[in-house]
Amino acid sequence: MSGIVIAGASRTFGTVRAVDGVDLTVEQGEFFTLLGPSGCGKTTLLRMIAGFCELDAGEIRFGERRIDRLPAHVRDIGMVFQNYAVFPTLSVAGNVAYGLKARNVAAAEIATRVEEALAMVQLAGYGGRLPHELSGGQLQRVAIARALVIRPHVLLFDEPLSNLDARLRVSMRAEIRALQKSLGITAIYVTHDQEEAMSVSDRIALMNHGRLEQVGVPVDIYRKPATRFAAEFMGTTNLVQARALGLAAPVWVSLRPEALRFAEEAPAGWPHLPGVVVGIEMLGPISRLDVRIGNGAILKMVLLDAPGQIVREGQIVTLAYDSSRLTVVS
Amino acid sequence: MTILAIPHGQRLPLGIAALAFVFLGLFLIYPLVNVFGASFLDAEGTSLTFANYTRMLGRPFYRAAITNTLEIGVAATLITTVLAVPFAFALARLPIPGKAAILALASLPLILPSFVSAYALVLLLGRSGIVTQWLQAHGIGFGSIYGMGGIVAVYALTLYPYVLLPAIAAFKAIDVSMEEAAQSLGSSPGRTVWTVTLPIVLPAILAGGLLVFIETLENFGVPFVLAEDMPIFAVEAFKLFIGETAPNPSQAGVLGVLLILTTTAVLLVQRRFLGRRRFATSARQAPPLLKVGRGVQAAATVYCWAVVILALVPFFSIVVLSFMEFRGPVLHPHFSLDNFAFLFDRALRPLVNTLMFATAAALCVTIVGVPVGYVVTRYRSGVASLLDVVATLPFAVAGTVLAIGFIVSFNAGALVLTGGPLILVLAYTVRKVPFAVRSSSAIVHQIDASLEEASISLGRSPLQTFLRIVVPLMLGGILSGMVLSWVTVASELSATIVLYSGPWSTLTVVMFQALESGGAGIATAAASFLIVVSLLPIALLYRLVRRYELS
Repeated sequence: MSGIVIAGASRTFGTVRAVDGVDLTVEQGEFFTLLGPSGCGKTTLLRMIAGFCELDAGEIRFGERRIDRLPAHVRDIGMVFQNYAVFPTLSVAGNVAYGLKARNVAAAEIATRVEEALAMVQLAGYGGRLPHELSGGQLQRVAIARALVIRPHVLLFDEPLSNLDARLRVSMRAEIRALQKSLGITAIYVTHDQEEAMSVSDRIALMNHGRLEQVGVPVDIYRKPATRFAAEFMGTTNLVQARALGLAAPVWVSLRPEALRFAEEAPAGWPHLPGVVVGIEMLGPISRLDVRIGNGAILKMVLLDAPGQIVREGQIVTLAYDSSRLTVVS
Repeated sequence: MTILAIPHGQRLPLGIAALAFVFLGLFLIYPLVNVFGASFLDAEGTSLTFANYTRMLGRPFYRAAITNTLEIGVAATLITTVLAVPFAFALARLPIPGKAAILALASLPLILPSFVSAYALVLLLGRSGIVTQWLQAHGIGFGSIYGMGGIVAVYALTLYPYVLLPAIAAFKAIDVSMEEAAQSLGSSPGRTVWTVTLPIVLPAILAGGLLVFIETLENFGVPFVLAEDMPIFAVEAFKLFIGETAPNPSQAGVLGVLLILTTTAVLLVQRRFLGRRRFATSARQAPPLLKVGRGVQAAATVYCWAVVILALVPFFSIVVLSFMEFRGPVLHPHFSLDNFAFLFDRALRPLVNTLMFATAAALCVTIVGVPVGYVVTRYRSGVASLLDVVATLPFAVAGTVLAIGFIVSFNAGALVLTGGPLILVLAYTVRKVPFAVRSSSAIVHQIDASLEEASISLGRSPLQTFLRIVVPLMLGGILSGMVLSWVTVASELSATIVLYSGPWSTLTVVMFQALESGGAGIATAAASFLIVVSLLPIALLYRLVRRYELS
């Protein structure tokens, strides 16, 4: 077994280049995430791998085997859908057994594997239930068990958590990652939520307008965004011209809010910037500040809450920033 | 292009579309092309000419047929709409006792044969009708029910559900916050209904009204019973065809073509104009009932019940009459089972035929309609939209015209069907395909496409997925669609009357013949039998669905 190779994959819908010459290699056992805003082509790319979207050009290989011309039902893929797609006419066990029956697995083996899979997603004993008796989170577990049980070459996740409430999302994503790691199945995960992507992924491919914007491990993309788009999409940031920070180069730089402090609290050696507070948003554990600096640019910064801390609008402040966290973006 | 060049995901829908095109091409397009062709051929059948058209349109009789039909259609559509819209509003928004019962009873005219209603009207109020005679005995006279007035009345009472049902749905789908917005801006409740509510439901009302109009254009049975010597499109086409001895039905063809063109034009108007004017309202729940005074409530209740009951009186009275004694056309008011004895004795074969044909046609319609409905909903491509248009086309073709096309096409040559039972089943199938396609398409819309993708990615081919996942999910809808096809085929008259031959007649033919020869007794028995045959499966289905939903 080996990973997944996507070479020059392209697809045009009308005049829109939904996927535009994407080259990617996903390693065996890797948890790989396609991240991007809606319409960036991440779902189209996922559906190309699944076989629900044809390629205009390029190819997709599982190791040495080219699969992009194969019909979807012989590709050996486990897919988990945004809206669960649990068959309402079949019981939970029937759903999980569905792919095994399609593969003509012996009845006795089906029974044990279904039980195992249900236990894995913490639904042991739910086999006889019908889908309409389950909650959204349970339905998503059924969908995951159904995709796992066939031991597919790759697991595809199409925004699997977006229909769940916020708290369940957080616990489910940890579970999905743990399951994937324990089974060692390659996973490709689509989401538009950068926090979710960072928490589950080994590597992330950030997509925009059908192209790959940046591919790398989560922390690298966060700390070293290559482009303005990457910098802004991976979290709040300050995109400013280097001159505004007193640097000579005519480039745009990204500076995360957490790399800014008040000068009196900053380590020695951080460059200083005079400014005035123009906006405060108190969120509990943190406060977000907008500070206007010399050339009129507004910098966002974050303060951890502390007793006795008082910041007012209009207050004149001196900022300091960590120049090692400046990233030049194109 | 070889078959291998077709992407895998497209093979199932293209295969289904290909089969459907073959079927509809052979049994819809080919017969229609022959009707068109006949209308343009000269007397020898050798050269093309417009002479048939100029000759037919030059005769006042046929011009009158056109204007009569259109006048009746417009009048019936207007009256139906005026009757149904307040009814729909009352059912959707006013506190009316017995709503469920009203709704169930109001749908019945859709499945009961309309010409039975016309026939009942003749039996009751006709020249020698029972009520007429009784009134005359008491010295009371009234106007004639024959001609336009009677036809329009029967249409209004049998076709009003076409407007009522979509209008109710539209009134219920209104987002009440729009009305609240209007009222908070200072609009009175009455003005709000007029300026906000009605415009939103207007497309649904117009769509229903156009259906009524098309039904009136194509209807054969009602004008046949009630028109007497007033020329009507569908009836004259039939008379011309039956009267024509030459193998080239040029004159009937002209009327057929004109009829198809009219209905197609109306359908196109409906698609083009109304398609763009559907107002999406996002009602999360049905709007609340309006608070009205007791007087308004009482008036609305009386109105709704009156319309429902009035529409069903003809059917009810014909059932009652079928249990009385007839000597020729003359009624003797004693209880008697003679009519039924007579029916089972003389018309057992047509009775069995009716049940057989309806069953066969319902199966065929389902086999053709469900896959086509699936393809036109799931796949957006040129082929799918063409299939959609072709599969809707039978709706624009009057039964009489399609049947004439069948006779012209299949009485000689490679495929001879005339004289047998198959030609009837095929004609019924083609006529009901649009309904099956519509209803399956509506169900497929409700099924999430990712269910199918899940099944495919788990290793089932698209065809297996369709059979294992889609069909079970559609089952309830497929069943009720089958029952509806069965019921409407059992009372089909317009194509049957042209196509039946020898032993392959049906109950509707028996009624039709009894009507011409004055055998009222057997006709009432046949009508009662048809009514029972229509209601029984619907009632069974209703119970079945209820039980299914409860479990």
